[in-house]
Amino acid sequence: MKHIDRRSFLKNSLLTTAALSLPGGLAVTPAAAASAAPAGSAQATGLVDTNVNLFSWPFRKLKYSDTKSLVAKLKKHRVVEAWAGSFEALLHKDMDGVNARLAAECRTNGGGLLIPFGSVNLAWPDWEEDVRRCQEVHKMPGIRIYPGYQPFDLDHPDMERLVRMTAERGLILQVVFGMEDPRVHHPQITVGRVSSAPLIAALKNTPNARVQLLHFSGSVRGEDLNQLMKETSAVMDISRLEGNGAVGRMIGSAPGMTAGRAPVERVLFGSHAPYFPLETAILKLIESPLDAKQLQAIMQGNARRLLPRA
Amino acid sequence: MTPREFFINPADYGLPTRDELVAYRIWDTHFHGFYGSQTPLEQYTRNNFYVERMGIERSISLEIGGTLDAPLVPSPHDDAIRAILEKDKDRLSGITPIDPGFPDESCAKMDKWIRNGPCIGIKYVGGNKSGITCSHPNNDAIIRRAAELNATIYIHTWLKVGGMPRLPGRDNNPGESTPMDVAKLAQRFPNVPMICGHSGGDWELGARAIRPYKNVSLEFAGSDPHSGSVDYAIKELGVDRVVWGGHGPSRSYATELGKVLDADISRADRMKIFGGNFRKMAAAIFRQKNLKIEV
Repeated sequence: MKHIDRRSFLKNSLLTTAALSLPGGLAVTPAAAASAAPAGSAQATGLVDTNVNLFSWPFRKLKYSDTKSLVAKLKKHRVVEAWAGSFEALLHKDMDGVNARLAAECRTNGGGLLIPFGSVNLAWPDWEEDVRRCQEVHKMPGIRIYPGYQPFDLDHPDMERLVRMTAERGLILQVVFGMEDPRVHHPQITVGRVSSAPLIAALKNTPNARVQLLHFSGSVRGEDLNQLMKETSAVMDISRLEGNGAVGRMIGSAPGMTAGRAPVERVLFGSHAPYFPLETAILKLIESPLDAKQLQAIMQGNARRLLPRA
Repeated sequence: MTPREFFINPADYGLPTRDELVAYRIWDTHFHGFYGSQTPLEQYTRNNFYVERMGIERSISLEIGGTLDAPLVPSPHDDAIRAILEKDKDRLSGITPIDPGFPDESCAKMDKWIRNGPCIGIKYVGGNKSGITCSHPNNDAIIRRAAELNATIYIHTWLKVGGMPRLPGRDNNPGESTPMDVAKLAQRFPNVPMICGHSGGDWELGARAIRPYKNVSLEFAGSDPHSGSVDYAIKELGVDRVVWGGHGPSRSYATELGKVLDADISRADRMKIFGGNFRKMAAAIFRQKNLKIEV
C-alpha cells in the first residue's frame, strides 16, 4: 500500500487550498506552502456540506433532527459549514414562518456553521415576497426549492421568473430533485417526478444565475446532465451519486476513464443529512480515486466559489 | 492511482481507515460483480479496484449459474465465472439463483451448483414469470434441500408502494417476495436460517414483519441509506440478526458501509454485522467444502 502519511496529506491539502484560494487562481510555490504547513490533523481540509435540512422529517423521527445534535455530528466529521434548508418547507403553507424559524435556529443553535437557505413555494401566491424576506429580512444567501413535494414542477410558469429574480438579487438557487426513494414513500402521499428540461431552458435565458442541483443524478442515459453541463453553469452535489466510485466516474477520475460527465469544478459536497448518514457522503470521497486537488475542489473550493466565506 | 492510494485520511473525518475496515473483516453477502453488464468478467475485474480499496475481505456473488433474470437458463459466462470462483476462492464465494415456479429444476440446480459445485447457497431473485413468491408451498422442497446441504438462503424482498388503494408491496413485480412472505416461510421452517434481503426496502415495516421469527436475519443492501435504520433493526431484532451486503457495483460500498457506521454500536457489534453473523451462518457449508473459514 502506498500510504499517504499525515504530513504528506496535509501538504497536499494545504497546497491545493492555497492555490485555489488565491485571487485569479495564482498558485503559491510548493516550498512556501509546505513551510507554512503546521503538523497535526487539525489542518485537514474542512468540508462545506451544501445539502442538509433542519427540523423534523414529516414521516419519521430522524436521529439528528435536533439541531444541536446535528451540528455536533457535522463537527465530528469535520464539516466546517453547512447550507441548511428546512424539512418544514416541503409541506407547510406559511413559508415566512418556515424561513423565520430556520434563520433563528441557525443563529441560535447553528454553532457558527449553519447557513440558512430559505424556501419559496411557486404554487403559493405572492412567493416573490418570500424571496425578498429571505434576503432582506432573514439575510439568507440562497433559496432552496423542493419541487414535487411543493406542488409544482420546474415547468411552472413562474420558474423562469424565480431564476431571474434570484440572479438579480445575487442569491444562490438550490433545486432539490428528490428527498426519498419513491418506492418507500408513505402511501398517502404522491410526489411528482421532477423534470430538468424546463430548468435548462430557464438557465439558458439567465446565464448569470447561480444554481445548484441537489440530490440529482440525471436520467439513465444522461442527456439531461450532459445538457446541463454543456449549456448552463449549474453545479450539483454528490448526495445522489450512486455506485462504486460514483464521484470519480462523474468527473472522469475512475480507473480506465478518460473523460467524465461533469467537470470537477461543477461538483460539490452535499450529504442530504440528517436523512442520509453523513458518513455515506464522506465515504464516497474516500472510495473514489480522487487526488488532492480534486478533493479540495469538491470538499470546499467549489462551494467557496459559489458562496465565499462570510 | 492504485486502490490503496489515498489523498484523504479517513481518520481526520471521523471514519475508519482502510486498515480499520480490513480489521472489521467485512463480508459482502450481496455482491453483484457479474450482474447487469454485457461483459460481466470485465465488470468483476474493474470492481476489484473498489473491493481492494474499501478493504472487503470476501464477496458473495448472487448470480452464479444462470442469471438473475433467468435463473434456470445457463449463462454463456457460467464456465468463465466458475473458473474465477476457483481462482479467487480466498476472497470470492457464490450462491446460485433459483426459481420457486420450478421447484424440481431448482433442486436439480442446487445439486449441480452446491452439492457438486462451488456454490454455498441460493438466492430468491426479485420476481419470476410464474408469480410464485417464497411463501408458496412450492418452496418447501427447495428449503428442505437447502437445509440438507447447509446452504445459505438469501431472499430478495421489497415493499414497493403502489396499487389502489396505495399500500407498501402492491407495486412489487410478479413473484417478488415481501418480508411478510419470508415470515410465512420462516414459520414453516423455524430451524432454517434465512436472510430477508434489502430489508424489504422499507426497513421499518420489513423488520416488524420478520421480528417474531428468530431464524430470519435482515440485510440492508440495495436501498437508500437511511440514518437510524441499523439502530432500529438492532433494537427490534438484536444485533445477531443483521447482516451486511454491499450491492456493488450498482450501489456504492460507501452507501452500504455508511448505514452501519451511522449506528451507535460497539466495534464488536459492527464486526458481527459486517461479517461475523454471516460467517456463523455459512460456517457449516464452508467446512463441508474444505474452504477455510475463521468465524
